[in-house]
Amino acid sequence: VFSVHMVGEGSVSICSIAGKATSSPAENYLLARRRTLQVVVSALLTESGFESAEKAAVETLTEMLQSYITEIGRCAKAYCEHTARSVPTLSDTVVTLIEMGFNVDTLPIYAKRSQRMVITAPPVTNAPVTPKALSAGQKRTHPAHIPSHFPEFPDPHTYIKTPTFREPVSDYQVVREKAATQRRDVERALTRFIAKTGETQSLFKDDITTFPLIAARPSTIPYLSALLPSELELQALEETDSSEQDDQTDGENTDDPGADKENSMLPPSGVVPSTKASEDNVIDNPYLRPVKKPKVRRKK
Amino acid sequence: MSNEDLYHKVVGYVELTIFPTVVNLNRIKLNSKQCRIYRVRVNDLEAPFLYNDPTLEVCHHESKQRNLNYFSSAYTAAVSAVDPDAGHGELVIKVPSELWKQGDDLKVLKVYIEFSLDQPKGGLHFVVPDVEGSMAERGAHVFGSCDEKMKIFSCHRFWFPCVDSYSELCTWKLEFTVDASMVAVSCGDLVETIYTHDMRKKTFHYILPIPTAAPNISLAVGPFEILVDPYMHEVTHFCLPQLLPLLKHSMSFLHEIFEFYEEILTCRYPYSCFKTVFVDEAYVQVSSYASMSIFSTNLLHSAMIIDQTPQTRRCLAQALAQQFFGCFISRMSWADEWVLKGISGYIYGLYLKKTFGVNEYRHWIKQELDKIVEYELKMGGVLLHPTFSGGKEKDNPTPHLHFSIKHPHTLSWEYYKMFQCKAHLVMRLIENRISMEFMLQVFNKLLSLASTASSQKYQSHMWSQMLLSTHAFLKSISNVSGKDIGPLIKQWVDQSGVVKFFGSFAFNRKRNVLELEIRQDYTSSGTQKYVGPIKVTVQELDGSFNHMLQIEENSLKHDIPCHSKSRRNKKKKIPLMNGEEVDMDLSAMDADSPLLWIRIDPDMSILRKVEFEQADFMWQYQLRYERDVVAQEEAISALEKFPTPASRLALTDILEQEQCFYKVRMQACFCLAKIANAMVSTWQGPPAMKSLFTRMFCCKSCPNIVKTNNFINFQSYFLQKTMPVAMALLRDVQNLCPKDVLNFILDLIKYNDNRKNKFSDNYYRADLIEALTNSLTPAISINNEVRTVDNLNADVRLILEEITRFLNMEKLLPSFRNTITVSCLRAIRQLQKNGHIPSDPSLFKSYAQYGHFVDVRIAALEALVDYTRVERSSGELQWLLSMVQNDPVHYVRHKILGLLCKNPPFTKTTDSALCNEALVDQLWKFMNSGASHDWRLRCDAVNLYYMLFGLTRPSCLPLPELGLVLNLKEKKAVLNPTIKPELGVGAVMDTPASIGQPPQGLKRKADTPLGSPPEPGQILQQQDDDGRGFNTMEDEDIDMETVHDSQAFIHHHLNLLERPSTPGKHTHTHTHTHTHTHYIHVLKTLLIQFT
Repeated sequence: VFSVHMVGEGSVSICSIAGKATSSPAENYLLARRRTLQVVVSALLTESGFESAEKAAVETLTEMLQSYITEIGRCAKAYCEHTARSVPTLSDTVVTLIEMGFNVDTLPIYAKRSQRMVITAPPVTNAPVTPKALSAGQKRTHPAHIPSHFPEFPDPHTYIKTPTFREPVSDYQVVREKAATQRRDVERALTRFIAKTGETQSLFKDDITTFPLIAARPSTIPYLSALLPSELELQALEETDSSEQDDQTDGENTDDPGADKENSMLPPSGVVPSTKASEDNVIDNPYLRPVKKPKVRRKK
Repeated sequence: MSNEDLYHKVVGYVELTIFPTVVNLNRIKLNSKQCRIYRVRVNDLEAPFLYNDPTLEVCHHESKQRNLNYFSSAYTAAVSAVDPDAGHGELVIKVPSELWKQGDDLKVLKVYIEFSLDQPKGGLHFVVPDVEGSMAERGAHVFGSCDEKMKIFSCHRFWFPCVDSYSELCTWKLEFTVDASMVAVSCGDLVETIYTHDMRKKTFHYILPIPTAAPNISLAVGPFEILVDPYMHEVTHFCLPQLLPLLKHSMSFLHEIFEFYEEILTCRYPYSCFKTVFVDEAYVQVSSYASMSIFSTNLLHSAMIIDQTPQTRRCLAQALAQQFFGCFISRMSWADEWVLKGISGYIYGLYLKKTFGVNEYRHWIKQELDKIVEYELKMGGVLLHPTFSGGKEKDNPTPHLHFSIKHPHTLSWEYYKMFQCKAHLVMRLIENRISMEFMLQVFNKLLSLASTASSQKYQSHMWSQMLLSTHAFLKSISNVSGKDIGPLIKQWVDQSGVVKFFGSFAFNRKRNVLELEIRQDYTSSGTQKYVGPIKVTVQELDGSFNHMLQIEENSLKHDIPCHSKSRRNKKKKIPLMNGEEVDMDLSAMDADSPLLWIRIDPDMSILRKVEFEQADFMWQYQLRYERDVVAQEEAISALEKFPTPASRLALTDILEQEQCFYKVRMQACFCLAKIANAMVSTWQGPPAMKSLFTRMFCCKSCPNIVKTNNFINFQSYFLQKTMPVAMALLRDVQNLCPKDVLNFILDLIKYNDNRKNKFSDNYYRADLIEALTNSLTPAISINNEVRTVDNLNADVRLILEEITRFLNMEKLLPSFRNTITVSCLRAIRQLQKNGHIPSDPSLFKSYAQYGHFVDVRIAALEALVDYTRVERSSGELQWLLSMVQNDPVHYVRHKILGLLCKNPPFTKTTDSALCNEALVDQLWKFMNSGASHDWRLRCDAVNLYYMLFGLTRPSCLPLPELGLVLNLKEKKAVLNPTIKPELGVGAVMDTPASIGQPPQGLKRKADTPLGSPPEPGQILQQQDDDGRGFNTMEDEDIDMETVHDSQAFIHHHLNLLERPSTPGKHTHTHTHTHTHTHYIHVLKTLLIQFT
């Protein structure tokens, strides 16, 4: 059947149609196949008595047909691989069709129907050539205990570890230098990018690119960004808190790492009532009391 | 009505309960501004009232008067006319005649006033960010923008009718109805919060049982986050949404301040609760009211911030000190203000001493002393306790000032700050005299009397114990200490000015005597003569000796016998004042003299400036070995004049000494830079401070790279911040910043690494930018070529590169208080000013817009003001002035005028194209009527006018058409008044128009000699109407409807009835005995609804 050929075989020799020379061979190939499908759909439509069809309708039907055929192909291939073969047989296809709910018995009758139209063979295009993988180095031959029909070894670079002999830079001065340069480069690139993509101000009337300043933009609540520490700072603080600066001063932030953040907001003297949680309920502060409901008026 | 309008409206209702204390009470005068009064009732009877605010327009319209003397006197008169301490007010309520009988029986009167406030310009400040969302989500809030100064400037009449005086105490019941998402914080105890019937609003009920004056009442409404203090549950903190973590951290310290004050005063905090509210766009940083304080939200900070922490704690301490003295105990009259400011400032100083240490305290005292001395010598004296004899304003106690100090409302802001500064310094002088123990006993006594008085119900005569007068304070001091401090008070309180000493000495070897000469300058402005004791400390080889000398009229020279023989005993250690014994290298000394150094008035027990001459080596010894930070700082400033290798060594040693107070070390940096510049041709070795900085802060292995930041040691943090700033001031022989210094600073920026630091480095980076700014020198320009990128100096290009990057990074990762943007803006202005880049105001204009953080705006405005002066740009001046009129933030408006005064575009002595008639008119109009809603702003405008045009008619005005001066005394006219500016103000008539109307000056010819400012108080005596003093000026301006109406009203309804009004005409001067009040209102209920 048509479909089996489409999917199961690597290539079908079809004569080429002159045309879009601009597209790549792979695209040409697919285009030709698709075209044939369209012809098939059109033929079926004519067979069913349609005189004309909208392009969109034909396209949709083509799409459906293609999906169907693709699915049959995929399934058949799966069945065949399931039985450790590499080329699908007729039985694979039959099982697939049955699996997909198709009554196989009707197929011969349908194929032999009288009003069936004969379609010319699809144009021949060259199947796309998969570019050869670049091979590097000498492939290893199989050792004696491996039969020769087993696949060859891949290129050596895919499994061989090549040690490099350059020591990582650990000189303090170089590290600092590198970190500083890197940070400066990142900052400059970032700010330049923002400046390029947004509004800018310039210190020179004639040259607005050498020292671009990101335009000042008023904010609705300016004190928020000015007072709250940025996420970056908070993150840095957490890191330093948990790491080295502990041994320098923080005698308070000892045992409970979970409470670190809480503690940092509270005074270092740290005489916070230990029963704080329970006391919260006891605190009688007028601002914490619930709001009362209005009294019902006497007069109505 | 638009939404915005809807949200800026307040509807209110005030109820006053009044006990008449005299018969014949027929009028009640209250203070009220801006309010629209709907209805007034007295005991359920409709009462007629009239409303007249003379301060709305000080000098009346068509007047062509443009001299400041005239304005100041008219303004003082206008304020006097509504002065509550003299029983006046803007709102005059006539008690219905049916109730006169009741009043005569001294029965209770109840006054009900309904009012509304629509878009108030002053008093209440609304902050509504322009974003989507409900009011609460937007962080909208409102607060009484009356702060410390505004408070004394009594802005309360701006938001509800009251007796706007500190001496009128009553208890309060306050109710505020606000949107359900909001919290209303006010004075007193929150009794309950109740929903309105539609459940969309809440009413907050407050009761303040402690008698309190209206100016101590405030209110803040907003979607506040609430934090109950973990240590003191009766203390509640409020901040705007999202700032709660900052609030928690910033307030974690408050309880210690509470404990400190309660301990030294041996007195509980007087109110049952305390609230702190942090608001945006605050009028000033700190303002205290009865049981609550309002702060600027910008004081909040996180644990990462170093520099802000002490500042915030200082603000808290100030606010709390004022809770005791200023809120709980308030002043009897304006003349007693100094006592309260003095005491609160003094106990705040004690707190500083305890928390920040004696060094910091003495440093602060010296700073304050230097400030007041500088101000008084420049501007003339500051008078703490002015007395105004019987309304005769011609004996003005402060004729050198361009404003009157009779009322807080007419006072220049700067003067008031200096006034506070002097007040607490004088308290310290009293402490020196009677000892701290007695001082604290006096405070304790005052507080206990007041708290006894406050618990008395409805016995209002008892309540006067809660008011403090100069007299009562002095009496209490003499009772407690038994000492007479009269001379001290006379010298520093009743009299203005500071003392200026010049000292020099010679050593007489034969007699072994130090011959000290102390001269005084008491003729310059702002100085006074000092007669009395003075302490002199002499450090000799054998020890340190104090001598009390007597400064007398004619004796300049004082002989002080020396203890030591000049012959040095080489092995011996030298004992210091504090008992320490040190080894010194005495080779620098004069071999014949045993004197190491001499100090005059080391304890700062005189408000003085001392210019003392001693040899450079003596200053060096003083710097190295004297342990008092004040002495060290004095020595540093003196050493600036001695650029020698020995001075350099002394300064470097101090810099390296870790036990030395860090502020002294910081000062030494700048001195060292100056000395290095003076020694530029002979300087040996690397640039000053470079090797020191490298040793202290750079890596051992690679000295050009700074260590990663670790600011755990604050002393070295401050030093690390300061040294580059000072180093950048170094100059080489070509007067340029040395190349290696600039590269050094650029490297500091490059290698700055804060990743491992517990603290933010924003201030440090800002200072590095400041260092770059300091390194700039004027560009060499050939033929005024246009500045372009191509002809940029290579160093400047590097600097500009850094500034661009910093400023841009700030947009992505803003620093705390945007310190880096602030520094960058300053740097850019400096680049412009030095001609490296084109001078252009547009960048600063965009940063000055509303919507930027306030510090950034101020920095941008500072640059703009500078630009205006340098480029003489009238466009920018206009831009600034329109911002003064239209900006939503009061502080910014105030600040612009302040900056313009500090850096004026021109002055009265210089010619400028900017100085023209239109500008005069514009400023005049602004002072006259434009700033009527804000006392502070009006006084700022007066300051600016004075700075630009002086006291007399501005010289740029064309000669008046007739050019006539009416000399009223001699009854003759003189042509061309501008050349005789010293003539009396009221007498200079500019135009025929004003001559056409009978000018007010004509009226007082009998008792106003020319040359003294006319004061309407004088009319007050002549005419039989107390309240009309000022209004007589308006008699002629009958086209003004309201005035006319009010005049008619007074004439027909009140004046004809020969009954005294509220104050009574015979008590128009204020006395300490508080007799002017003829009624006492006992309970005041205020209901306010925000719609």
